Amino acid sequence: MRALRFAARTLRRQPARALLGILGIAAVGALLFDMLLLSRGLVLSMEDALNRAGFDVRVTATASLPGTGPRIGRAPAVLATLTALPEVDDAVALRFGSGRVLMTAPSPPVGFTLFGAEPSRRRFWTVIRGRDLAARGDAPTGEVLINEALAAALGVDAGASIAIRASCVRANEALPPVHVRVAGVARFPFDTVEQRTAALSRRDFAVACGEPDDEGADLILVATAPAYGPDQARDAIARVHPDLHAVSNAQLVRQLAATRFSYFRQISAVLATVTLAFGLLLITVLLTVSVNQRLGTIAALRAIGFSSRRMVADVLAESALMVGVGGALALPVGLLLAAWLDRILKRMPGLPAELHFFVYEPRALWLHAGLMGATALLAALYPVRLVSRLPIAATLRSEITS
Amino acid sequence: MVRLAALAAVALTAAVHAFEPASRPAGDLPTILISRQLATARGLRAGDDVRLARDRNGRGARTFRIAGIYEPTPDPVRIGAARHEARLHLPDLLALTGEPDDPLADENVDAINIALRPGADAGAYSRTLGARAPGITVHPVADAAGGAGVFVVLERFHLAIAIVTIVASTVFLLALTVMLVDERRETVGVLRLIGLTSRRILLQVFAEGIALAGTGALFGILLALASEGLINRYFQWRYDTALVFVRIAPEVIWRTLLIAVPLGVAGSVLASWTLLRRGPLALVRR
Repeated sequence: MRALRFAARTLRRQPARALLGILGIAAVGALLFDMLLLSRGLVLSMEDALNRAGFDVRVTATASLPGTGPRIGRAPAVLATLTALPEVDDAVALRFGSGRVLMTAPSPPVGFTLFGAEPSRRRFWTVIRGRDLAARGDAPTGEVLINEALAAALGVDAGASIAIRASCVRANEALPPVHVRVAGVARFPFDTVEQRTAALSRRDFAVACGEPDDEGADLILVATAPAYGPDQARDAIARVHPDLHAVSNAQLVRQLAATRFSYFRQISAVLATVTLAFGLLLITVLLTVSVNQRLGTIAALRAIGFSSRRMVADVLAESALMVGVGGALALPVGLLLAAWLDRILKRMPGLPAELHFFVYEPRALWLHAGLMGATALLAALYPVRLVSRLPIAATLRSEITS
Repeated sequence: MVRLAALAAVALTAAVHAFEPASRPAGDLPTILISRQLATARGLRAGDDVRLARDRNGRGARTFRIAGIYEPTPDPVRIGAARHEARLHLPDLLALTGEPDDPLADENVDAINIALRPGADAGAYSRTLGARAPGITVHPVADAAGGAGVFVVLERFHLAIAIVTIVASTVFLLALTVMLVDERRETVGVLRLIGLTSRRILLQVFAEGIALAGTGALFGILLALASEGLINRYFQWRYDTALVFVRIAPEVIWRTLLIAVPLGVAGSVLASWTLLRRGPLALVRR
């Protein structure tokens, strides 16, 4: 405690120097904190978004991304097999396509992402206004759900009728328009900020695509029964349908972390290392210069009876105080900086609105504290060596004669 | 070059879902090229025979002979993705992937790449072609490159990080110069007492600042040049790609010098200025 008070007095003697040093450490600490938030931000954010959707296993025909590979054939039969499994609570089959609504000239057509969903008990979208799609078994309902962006672009709301032209293959099509009624406005997971989205029942989607008898699906979402885990459900699906590719949310997140998200993990590791090295170097220089300027004082204190250990403790306390105050300041600064950097990165095209690059987790805080503490300790090593090996008589003599 | 979506294609990358070495070689087999990454992952070599199918059941599989192994064009958008790819002759790909009940299966392709004659206006050509062939989308490749929003965003992100780093460095630099100048308080006082003017000393500090900041910036640039190869080699190994991640271009060097040297000099002069405002006797006071 005494060493800490002494260090505080030493810093107060040189307020400009101490303030600049602490501000510098705060800036470096903020950058380090942000890199820790970035290292797992996308993974945590994606995990959260996947879990919030309410389904924990995804089934596709191949390992390709849904909508880019072959479709699952005879989806209703596959769904019946899957929902009969004790490990499965519910399952919903999806078809992906796109659509356009022709506007009055000279306005261009309004394009949007369109998908068809097999009616199920669970819905992965959230109805904001109006009501949900009606479940009428295997018959078309003539209803559509749209998101806010599409509602704004079309200038319509729940209850309005619109004519949509669907495109259900990976090529431009000229299908006749289908008239549907807007049942409600909903929020869909993984929509980008400006994405326009509409959802039809699977039957209505097939009608809009001009293939009323089509039974294909791009993706089947599976919700695990409460008594089982997602991995058990995935294994059960693989047993009954070895021809399909089933993956749990945790697996998907692991895959994304190892591939698509790894760039940000790598860049955060590189920047965190550089930041730490930079911080270490500069704190060492600050402490060393500070100790060098006080060598006479330190020698005098030693001469009047202060032990070498006590002087070392003073230097360590000075380092800890500077890094502690700077590190504490770094947290709010880092959070503000993270919000700014997140806004920059979220302008990336095609990024779901609910994904974030910088996500807070307690682990980042502990890691930050640990790294800053280690930096304070390492930075104090050289000045501590200077103090512990200081020749008292020679230093005092040199101080008097210089 | 014009990219024409929807009707036909020249060179295609096949998304093959089953890729197995053929059990026996056939006579006059169609040939394919495979990516280096696929060849490494499956232990394949030029001259090997493989069976390709469009799904994991291996239905409708056909045997091909590997004519060669190629390095895929580096694509930053696909960083981290395993580039397991095969290139087939277009008729072979259509025969392998077309729906049997689709009469137009062998007439549909995803895109056509068009090379224009030197000097041709790609934009004008795209507009003309788009007007003459409704139902297709025509983009000049230059437009597609310019609209690479991902990289524009990444550039802004790196710029933001650079700004934070410069702010942190400036604060530290100020702290250091304040300490160093304080250390030289007595020397400056003696110089003032023997007749040197504040202006003369400030000029000396300015010259010292230029020398120090220039040396520091030069050292930083040399360090960056030395680590450029290391960083590239590490990331190329990590992502199994030929992409270049760090390139210290001349404009980067000039930009660094333009920021670092004035900042260093300003730090030195600013810290010294506060000292020079004091009287010589106050400076030499012990």
